[in-house]
Amino acid sequence: MNEIWTLSEQHGGKLKDVSFELLARGRALADTLQSQLCTVVLGNKIDDKELESLIFHGADTVFYVENPCLGDMVCEIYAMVLAYLVGEYTPHVLLAAATTTGRSVLPYLAVKIHTGLTADCTDLAIEKETGNLLQTRPAIGGNIMATIKTPNHRPQMATVRPKSYKALAEDRSRSGKVVRVAWNPEWNDTRVQVLSYREECGNSSSLEEADIVVSGGKGLKKRENFRLIEELADSLGGQVGASRDAVDRGWASYPHQVGLSGKTISPKLYLAVGISGAVQHLAGIKTAEYIVAINSDEHANILQVADFALVGDLFAILPQLLRRLGTQGGEK
Amino acid sequence: MNTYTKVTPEIVSELSTIVGNNNLISDFDRMENYGHDETSKEEYGHMPEVVVMPQSCEQVAQVMRLATRYHIPVTPRGAGSGLSGGAIPLFGGIVLSVEKMNKVLEIDEKNLTVTAEAGIITNELNNQVIEHKLFFAGYPMSLETCFLGGNIAENAGGGRAVKYGVTGRYVLGLEIVTPDGRIVNLGGKVTKDVSGYDLKQLYIGSEGTLGIITKATIKLLGLPTAKADLLVPFKTAEEAIAVVSVIMTKGIVPTSIEFMDRTSLQMSCNYLNETLPLEKVGAMLLIELDGSEEKQVEADMISVGDLCEANGAMEVYIAEDKNTQERIWSVRRNIAEALKVYSPVQSLEDIVVPIGSIPLVLPKLTMLSEKYGVTIPCYGHAGDGNLHATIVKNPESTMEHWHEIEPMILRELYAFIVTELGGKISGEHGIGIKRREFLREVISDTEYDLFCALKKAFDPQMIMNPGKIIRIQ
Amino acid sequence: MYIVVPIKQVPETSNVQMDKETGTMIRSASEAIVNPLDLYALETALQIKERTGGRITVITMGPLGAAKVLKEAIAMGCDDAIHLSDRAFGGSDTWATSYTLASAIRKLGKVDLVIAGERATDGDTGQVGPGLASWLDMGLVTYTSHIEELTDTYLIAERLLEEGYQKVKATLPVVLTVVKEIAIPRLPTLKGKKRAMHMTIPLLGAKDLGLENADLGLLGSPTRVVKIESPKISRACTVVKATDDSSIQEGIDKLMLFLASKELLGKGVAK
Repeated sequence: MNEIWTLSEQHGGKLKDVSFELLARGRALADTLQSQLCTVVLGNKIDDKELESLIFHGADTVFYVENPCLGDMVCEIYAMVLAYLVGEYTPHVLLAAATTTGRSVLPYLAVKIHTGLTADCTDLAIEKETGNLLQTRPAIGGNIMATIKTPNHRPQMATVRPKSYKALAEDRSRSGKVVRVAWNPEWNDTRVQVLSYREECGNSSSLEEADIVVSGGKGLKKRENFRLIEELADSLGGQVGASRDAVDRGWASYPHQVGLSGKTISPKLYLAVGISGAVQHLAGIKTAEYIVAINSDEHANILQVADFALVGDLFAILPQLLRRLGTQGGEK
Repeated sequence: MNTYTKVTPEIVSELSTIVGNNNLISDFDRMENYGHDETSKEEYGHMPEVVVMPQSCEQVAQVMRLATRYHIPVTPRGAGSGLSGGAIPLFGGIVLSVEKMNKVLEIDEKNLTVTAEAGIITNELNNQVIEHKLFFAGYPMSLETCFLGGNIAENAGGGRAVKYGVTGRYVLGLEIVTPDGRIVNLGGKVTKDVSGYDLKQLYIGSEGTLGIITKATIKLLGLPTAKADLLVPFKTAEEAIAVVSVIMTKGIVPTSIEFMDRTSLQMSCNYLNETLPLEKVGAMLLIELDGSEEKQVEADMISVGDLCEANGAMEVYIAEDKNTQERIWSVRRNIAEALKVYSPVQSLEDIVVPIGSIPLVLPKLTMLSEKYGVTIPCYGHAGDGNLHATIVKNPESTMEHWHEIEPMILRELYAFIVTELGGKISGEHGIGIKRREFLREVISDTEYDLFCALKKAFDPQMIMNPGKIIRIQ
Repeated sequence: MYIVVPIKQVPETSNVQMDKETGTMIRSASEAIVNPLDLYALETALQIKERTGGRITVITMGPLGAAKVLKEAIAMGCDDAIHLSDRAFGGSDTWATSYTLASAIRKLGKVDLVIAGERATDGDTGQVGPGLASWLDMGLVTYTSHIEELTDTYLIAERLLEEGYQKVKATLPVVLTVVKEIAIPRLPTLKGKKRAMHMTIPLLGAKDLGLENADLGLLGSPTRVVKIESPKISRACTVVKATDDSSIQEGIDKLMLFLASKELLGKGVAK
């Protein structure tokens, strides 16, 4: 009863970090309702150890559906399997990550099973009187926070922004069960088939999932200068982001674009270099834990949302900063 | 040659009692930004001896009285976005920055005026009045940085001058501090005024050589609610230019008619990673229309578009959606920056000719570029006859060669513009230091004498931004 | 090839100022535009039409003024447009929106492709595209960044995922949502504009679509907005000026201290 469910994501048989973040979210909600936390894993040939780790991170039950056609997300198939499980077990809440997977599958599923769905939530809570899920999300470019309910439809579904919550520490004493769900041939759907996959220039971790993002903007002046951003990201162990201006000028590719028409991210540290901070850009970073700006203009918008700002010529500052990070990194 | 008093530590401390310690800069590193404007720092830059940032007109007056007493040159400064070296302290001395006098004092909705201090960012001023559905129609193109005071001192033009005219048209009143430290209010909120000499008009465009503008009352207009842009490619620059006068004589007055030649377009598009269809395009016009009636603007847009099509346009692109408008204007606005990235050594020109003569300018530019082996991309406010031909150094040639040919090209160009076409060497950027010697060559002795007499009458000690427009004897 | 492109009118936000006290947008200067991300969908459709021939219908749901975005799409080169407008549609969430749009698309007959923007910049949910596929029972390819091959029966496309690109093959009819990388939108032309001006765009309401009010708008929406707040910007910015050599060193010292205090250092890969 009142079960909280999450959809765990995997890539190449390995669970993604965001799956554990979702469990932490779900655990808190399940504890409030004094109910169970279940998670669904759709995949192919996933190691028992991987499935068990979900239990160690907060799940009571893991529903695992295995089939070669589940290796990659295919929206129609994923939605069919989930529709079946939801029909069978009637969870109270179903959460997925606001990733390309979650944001494709859940809206497709919401229509199939006729329930509501709230996108890209940053905060979830249980309403005391009703036990309903309160889903809070930034809207209109992060300028307002809207709290949304699904009062009469079940399950209550939401996608949750990656990095908006910390995963629980592994607790190997936790117990739970893995339920293997038998494959139903009716779930085969060949309308969309995955042919191949290529990683983008060896970028192992995505912008949305990065702890540290270093972004560059118009202040860099030239494409060649953008490598300063790459070096800085490298030496901080972060990913490279870019403002729309920088992407439009071809200094970075679109997957790096942060902001309203690019990605909305919540890293631990967002370091904005030469970015004035148009409203659309700020919309994409407002939920970052810390924001640091390096900018020549002390009146730049970005300073309004920053925790720390270095105001000066970035071409004078960056080489010095890189040198410093280089030496400190060496001590490690 | 005029000899000025050096700024001593004692004078610095006297200045700091006037403006306060926090509003004075005397260490070398921090003064560097005040030693140049948007012109080449290497070529025109000069360090000040001290920078003061007064917070009131009274403080400005006190600084000027001190400067008069000690005979120290004072260079007034706005945002430093000027393009002729007007804010550079040629003789050192004091740079007086109005950056801390940046308040809007009154928005008078009854009289449709706004009164503000000289150091307000013009864009910021406009944002404030837009909330009252009003706007300052004379405000120029360097939207995000320039100050009101600087705009008036340079009588800045910009993109909308075809319909609305330039800054000076909207200045109703000025508060001025004279070189000897007196405060005078000129004009007011009236639209007509023949009560004696029009001193207010004299200060507009005087490049800070006659006094310091500390406050201005600006006439506002009702904010147009409808806007449409046309982007029109032509096979040749000549065809594009020829259309300008056709449009202008049809009774529709566009807000702006901007011209961009192929090189300018290509550079800007490369810089922005924009892909406008440029195949076989020799030049484009960017035409903006505005008004209070959407239907009227739409009808005008179609009339203008039809005219273009009838006069050789290869296609007529339109932008009614704000997003699209931003996209095409961005190409126009980024030309200067793109050219700088391509070759930082260049001379950004500001020639202006009667609009009927525009077609004659382009062949001359082609001739000069061939003769001297330089590129001369050309863009600008075609509707005003104001073109920003930019003489760009060939990246392969030496600096020595550049220094040798640059004045030769300019001389030849200016002589042609002024004597053959009845034009002027600067439409909106000003003379400053950059064009001072050239100005002398293209104006008559009488005109020059009158300039000198005027300067002497207003600033007998020659301490007010000396060395600009005219030489210091 | 028959292509349908659903588009949305959204408020323009590029020149919007932020209220320094409340941290919210000052809306007075805003006006309505075509959702910028929909332009990529329109361009994709137009390029397909240029290659293979066919017809493009644009469709929007919104108040009467939203006809403007349809005319804009026509001026870019789309063939015809449908405007869904009814008081009953008001307050739709993504479920009800996709239901209403899908009901109208179904009436258009055999559709080969539905191409939508990745999301709208105002609601920012990205749920309507996938919702449409679900209602229309079509295949779905989200985050499409490139169409490699297109035939009468299938297409091969690349999807932009978090870490890279996935190539998929999809049977037509299919719903695509596209990302900015896929194409650069063309500009509307005067010729297109004239066509749009002379065109009567059908205006359809709930009755015309044969839909029940209970399934539409706020009534038909499973979700409810229960609270709207302005997030307070609680960040107090430490501003350090770094204008010369010594102040740059000082500034970097302070920055390093800040980063260290938040445990943000030491993850670097610098060797």
